[in-house]
Amino acid sequence: MDATPSEIRGKERYKAGVLKYSQMGYWDGDYEPKDTDILALFRITPQEGVDPIEAAAAVAGESSTATWTVVWTDRLTAADQYRAKAYKIEPVPNIPGQYFCYIAYDLILFEEGSIANLTASIIGNVFGFKPLKAARLEDMRLPVAYVKTYKGPPTGIVIERERLDKFGRPLLGATTKPKLGLSAKNYGRVVYEGLKGGLDFMKDDENINSQPFMHWRDRYLYCMEAVSRAAAETGEVKGHYLNVTAGTMEEMYRRAEFAKEIGSAIIMIDLVIGYTAIQSMSEWSRQNDMILHLHRAGHGTYTRQKNHGISFRVIAKWMRLAGVDHIHAGTAVGKLEGDPMTVQGYYNVCRELKNEVDLQRGIYFEQDWADLRKVMPVASGGIHAGQMHQLLDLFGDDVVLQFGGGTIGHPMGIQAGATANRVALEAMVQARNEGRDILNEGPEILRSVAKWCKPVEAALDIWGNISFNYESTDTSDYAPQVSTSF
Amino acid sequence: MRITQGAFSFLPDLDDVQIAAQVEYCLRNEWAVGIEYTDDPHPRNTYWEMWGNPMFDLRDAAGVMMELKACRDAFPDSYIRINAFDSTRGFETVRLSFIVNRPAVEPTFKMTRTEVRGRTVNVTMTTEY
Amino acid sequence: MAEGETEASPSTAVDLAGDFRDSGVAEVLDQLDRELIGLKPVKQRIRETAALLIVDRARQRLGLSQTTPTLHMSFTGNPGTGKTTVAMRMADILYRLGYVRKGHLISVTRDDLVGQYIGHTAPKTKEILKKAMGGVLFIDEAYYLYRPDNERDYGQEAIEILLQVMENQRDDLVVILAGYADRMDKFFQSNPGFRSRIAHHIDFPDYEDAELLSIAESMLAEQNYHFDADARAAMNEYIALRRAQPHFANARSIRNALDRARMRQANRLFSDTHAPIGVDELSTITGADLRSSRVFSGGLDSEKGRPE
Repeated sequence: MDATPSEIRGKERYKAGVLKYSQMGYWDGDYEPKDTDILALFRITPQEGVDPIEAAAAVAGESSTATWTVVWTDRLTAADQYRAKAYKIEPVPNIPGQYFCYIAYDLILFEEGSIANLTASIIGNVFGFKPLKAARLEDMRLPVAYVKTYKGPPTGIVIERERLDKFGRPLLGATTKPKLGLSAKNYGRVVYEGLKGGLDFMKDDENINSQPFMHWRDRYLYCMEAVSRAAAETGEVKGHYLNVTAGTMEEMYRRAEFAKEIGSAIIMIDLVIGYTAIQSMSEWSRQNDMILHLHRAGHGTYTRQKNHGISFRVIAKWMRLAGVDHIHAGTAVGKLEGDPMTVQGYYNVCRELKNEVDLQRGIYFEQDWADLRKVMPVASGGIHAGQMHQLLDLFGDDVVLQFGGGTIGHPMGIQAGATANRVALEAMVQARNEGRDILNEGPEILRSVAKWCKPVEAALDIWGNISFNYESTDTSDYAPQVSTSF
Repeated sequence: MRITQGAFSFLPDLDDVQIAAQVEYCLRNEWAVGIEYTDDPHPRNTYWEMWGNPMFDLRDAAGVMMELKACRDAFPDSYIRINAFDSTRGFETVRLSFIVNRPAVEPTFKMTRTEVRGRTVNVTMTTEY
Repeated sequence: MAEGETEASPSTAVDLAGDFRDSGVAEVLDQLDRELIGLKPVKQRIRETAALLIVDRARQRLGLSQTTPTLHMSFTGNPGTGKTTVAMRMADILYRLGYVRKGHLISVTRDDLVGQYIGHTAPKTKEILKKAMGGVLFIDEAYYLYRPDNERDYGQEAIEILLQVMENQRDDLVVILAGYADRMDKFFQSNPGFRSRIAHHIDFPDYEDAELLSIAESMLAEQNYHFDADARAAMNEYIALRRAQPHFANARSIRNALDRARMRQANRLFSDTHAPIGVDELSTITGADLRSSRVFSGGLDSEKGRPE
């Protein structure tokens, strides 16, 4: 491999012909990022024979102003300020051929308050670039100057709790099961049972929109009847996330309006509607006092592999800017992918006012959220009451724990399933507050609760031994040892 | 009907030792502790009556338990709850809330359904004693 | 449990020396030794009290006593004799021996407890009590609570609440009353309820002359000053004279005297000297700086004649 060619300046720079990216000014090892720069960290795997610095410069170039040959029209602009600069490159520990490269982008490159623009810029071109075998957008630092151009979550954790009047414990939810096929009335029945038994929320699944077996208006009406009835039976504020995802924005607005009209406190959308649609729905939710739940449908196609794609932590950052109130962020101990430390990193992105650098949790940049409201993370997927101590220990109070199968599959019925989850949770929170070591004493605490609460006893009997032990595909490079989901 | 508001309503009623332990947890977190009571437990009734202002700078739960006893003596047949307030930036809200006294007979909630357009039904909930 | 029976404890003997070691009380007593110069009789009383508390705790463990011992105290003596400092260390000792749960000290005077109008006192007193629970409440010049000549005075209400708490919530709070000995005596005579609730009376005698001189020198040393020989002699005389005057406040009086001496030194250097001044002159207090005090001519040291 040749030594990296250095930057060419002056008249030579704009002579027609092909230059390497590092010659064009996209690499600057001495560059000090400004407070107002947007920073991105890419994990790149250059093709054999490609100099890593040249590869980093190419990523910088292709995600800002470069093209594959010199163009004289660059000289009509303040070109050197528009060029993104790769300023640091480090080999990834223990993975030869893979590099972390840090790139800085001037604030002028981005439109205010537009995730579509941000993503089109950063990930629009780069990932198909031939000289790279693989590339992953690992993390981003969004300067306060940029964060302030967004309104952020319409409700946020604090106001959500105040609206529900529920403080001091995680919230509980469940997805109606089976995902597909129930009629509207039967669907509403499942919702009623779950809420009456003790859950705070029920929810539509991501692909329940408006299918031949149940049109959306019918589902909404029966669900709201269930919600109202459960509220009257318990004296609590209850909710069901009505999925307003549809084929067009116009249809989504119609559905959201109807949800509001019939008194729902919360609606949900899927990630697959797209970033612009998400921002529009966020704005609508803000104007209509609606809590907005985001299901991260489809993310696994690009977040799961360590070497290629986008890390979910970046998606979470974009979604906090775009403005959602809930986001599915992983369970660590359930059926879906997620190493515990990495998942805690996602939760911190959602909930902290300021993220500090924390390499073990995958946080590579200090990120100041400028008091943008906090997103409530949602843990959903294969979790059950027998894991309550692990969930509480990993995630704390500000989380929605969703037990779909873990409620509806309970041998004593849906209400009992909901009650089991609620009792187990409250007992665990009480024990933790008293100062007990719930991580180690958890099973004992659950067993003592089971003595007076039959639903808990039945849940432990049937699921007590279920765990999902597979090696995680996406762990931190800086973890002390490889961790498995447990 | 046992109204299940507050963080521990699904557990058997907390005794004074358990309540004090929860208060100690709040004090360890440097939260202010307040006592509120009401006769109207409607879920949208967020402003219960305050039994004195929230208490700041306490180091021990005994002070709170003293006030709780006095509140129970004054309103034995009302709902009483304990709230913990966190003044940290980014929260500035209630962090824990749980019921510590219930009336002997709890009210229920009556649903009144009003049919409006199409199949839509507007629901009003009223507390029924 | 029957008299003489113990709970399921591993032994029926105690190791008092071990208890003393493990409790960490020795560190507190050492700290007291370092913080306060002299005060031998007080330190002795504290040691004795600590010993009593350790033995009491051991007796409780063996089931010999069931009820919480009365722990309330009174500290009597002139101002500036270390009462507040000792109260803080006492709170620490009580905490380390498990007699109070949290071990903090809240220090108040009458004005913190008593209100200005009807209904104001009870909540005010209760608020202080709540903050002090788990620790120690130190009431300075407690006798001001009792003002029988003024019928509009609400101190009586505070007294009643205090007496109640001191009797019924001994597990939650320890109260230390402090002030001048003679006034405290009168207070107890008029409010016998207090005397019966107080287990430990500790008297804080004035510092001896030599101790006060020593205190003066360490106060100066803290700020990088020192006496010259003449000044030291002058200070000795000053102490003897000042002590005889009213409102002698021990270490506090010393501090005030030193502050004024520094003022005079500064003015002297400013007006008398024309040559450059070195470190030595800046840090020396001379006899002249002290002797210009009116205490030497029988008057009070301060301009307005206020007590120090």
